[in-house]
Amino acid sequence: MSDDQEHHDHGHPVPPVTADDTGSQALAEALRSSFAIVKVAMLLMVLAFFGSGFFQVGPQEKAVILRLGRPVGEGKNILLGPGLHWSFPYPIDEVVKIPITEIQKVSSSVGWYATTPEQELSGEELPAGPSLNPAVDGYAITADRNIIHTRATLYYHINDPRRAVFDFSSGTNLTYSLAGVSNAVQNALNNALIYTAAHFNVDDVLLLHVNDFRDAVLERVSDLADQEQLGIGIDNCEVESVPPRQLREIFAQVTTARENRIKALQDALSYENQKTNSAGAQATTIIAAAEAARNRYVESLSAEAKRFSDLLPKYESNPSLFAQQTLVPAMGQMLTNVQDKIYLSERVDGQPRELRLMLNREPPQPKTAANP
Amino acid sequence: MNRNVLTIVVGAVLVVIFALLLFVFQVRQSEVAVVTTFGKPSTQPYDKPGAYFKWPWPIQKVYKFDGRIQNFEDKFNETLTADQNNLITTVYVGWQITNSPAFLNHFRDGSVPAAQTMLESMLRSANIAVVGKHPLSDFVNADPKALKFDAIENEIEQQVQNDLRTNDCGIQLEFLGLKRFGLPESVTQTVFDRMKNERQVLINKEQYEGEAQAQKIKAAADRQAAETIADAEADATRIRGQGEAEAAKMLPVFQQNPELANFLLRIDALQQSLNQKSTLIFDERTPPFDLFSRLPTNSPPQHE
Repeated sequence: MSDDQEHHDHGHPVPPVTADDTGSQALAEALRSSFAIVKVAMLLMVLAFFGSGFFQVGPQEKAVILRLGRPVGEGKNILLGPGLHWSFPYPIDEVVKIPITEIQKVSSSVGWYATTPEQELSGEELPAGPSLNPAVDGYAITADRNIIHTRATLYYHINDPRRAVFDFSSGTNLTYSLAGVSNAVQNALNNALIYTAAHFNVDDVLLLHVNDFRDAVLERVSDLADQEQLGIGIDNCEVESVPPRQLREIFAQVTTARENRIKALQDALSYENQKTNSAGAQATTIIAAAEAARNRYVESLSAEAKRFSDLLPKYESNPSLFAQQTLVPAMGQMLTNVQDKIYLSERVDGQPRELRLMLNREPPQPKTAANP
Repeated sequence: MNRNVLTIVVGAVLVVIFALLLFVFQVRQSEVAVVTTFGKPSTQPYDKPGAYFKWPWPIQKVYKFDGRIQNFEDKFNETLTADQNNLITTVYVGWQITNSPAFLNHFRDGSVPAAQTMLESMLRSANIAVVGKHPLSDFVNADPKALKFDAIENEIEQQVQNDLRTNDCGIQLEFLGLKRFGLPESVTQTVFDRMKNERQVLINKEQYEGEAQAQKIKAAADRQAAETIADAEADATRIRGQGEAEAAKMLPVFQQNPELANFLLRIDALQQSLNQKSTLIFDERTPPFDLFSRLPTNSPPQHE
């Protein structure tokens, strides 16, 4: 600008008069205007240069600025979230975009028989052959050398994005993604599955200690993640284990047998309960009856004793009269109760009368084999 | 003059930029680089991110490699264990280029596939050597002390690490683990048969043990019930005994006159025995029917 100003100032004190001067003046005018165009173009280029530093980050991705190859920021701050950002243009800064979601998920790739999620959903899995082909069918071997199928899904998040993005290769030199760390996590998960299965007996994995098995898998994955410095935090782990399809039926039978055993045990316990209770009740009844009998006996005897004491003076004053006085009313009372009364009068000749009785109250039993 | 200054400045800037492009190269965080001078690699590895100086081509040339950890796994390896079991194993590793000049020296143009091929053969030989030293019980065992899973992985890793060091190929293992191990296909079938037998044994065991246990509980319940009742009966006898003991205390009352007591008892007994459905036959001597005998009768026995 100042150059142009000076140029103008120099031009005015010496006004051109000749035709030559007119030509050079026209040339100068042309140069001036073309310089102006160049200036505008340069301004635009400068603007474009800095404007090219603006970039946008989408919702499912993050970005990292590499300044002379080194990530800008520390720890989690190296990740730029969705929105508009600015960086110096290449070659000073380089923007690297990485697809990252909050929660990462990875599934084990060993331990399960050959199937696809679609086949599983539609229930059209290929039928199990008599044996397992190691090239297609995955499985794990348990501590008691049984074969089981087991698979796990791990949910984790990236704690150290610098480690995850810049220390694990995603295949090609120029791309940056979480594929490398995800692959490493998957291998750790695979290792954890077969490692843990090798510690557990088949029944523990499938039935008795399912949760312990899952916790052990989780622990192993965490250990490996620490050892291998994967820079991840584990959120959750789901583990599913089944017996080989070839033996599904007999495994089910074992379960049934176990359930039957539990049921038999419960039956026995309820029998025990019932038996004990009824015996207890019976015992109480027996004791109560004995107590009642004792009380009755003692009471009646004491009543008896009282009566005896009352009667004793009367008896002692005249035993024979007392006997008569007591016996006769008693006889009267007895005779009213008696059904048949037969009186034998004295024979004329004074001899005792002979009386024959046919005692046949019960009919004679017929002779049988059991009763000869 | 001034215009010339401007031109010179602009020219200088352009030259600087051009020179920078020619003489400077960048190494990213994820990269390692090596510079060759007339084809001879420098000894200094460029493994830190930043901008570095170089002479332009054809004097110096820059090779850049992926310096990150690369995942790799070998194919199936069928190996005999120490106790003659066939075991199929797959191992995964994380490897990394740690010395880029050595890497470039060792592999033509720093070819990663070539490095992987070498790594695979090293893994295979280490695998065979280490697996052959261990019986199957070192791989699977319920006893955590007997299980040598970690030890096996460490041994393989050590051996591969040693091989890599001896070869001086600029590669280092970051981690190594068993990814899967299995049995040959034909063996799985025999395993299935054995598992089936084991299940059958288990089923029988559950049945018999369950029955025995239930029987035991029931028998114990029966015995306990019988004991309870026997105890109660013993108690009842004792209680009755108490009653008799108390009754014995009243005996002196009756002893004042045993005759009367006897008489009263007999009357009571008579009254009780003649309660119902009984037939009594009297003659004239039984009181009160003896009254009949003294009555005047119509018969003429007195006259004779």
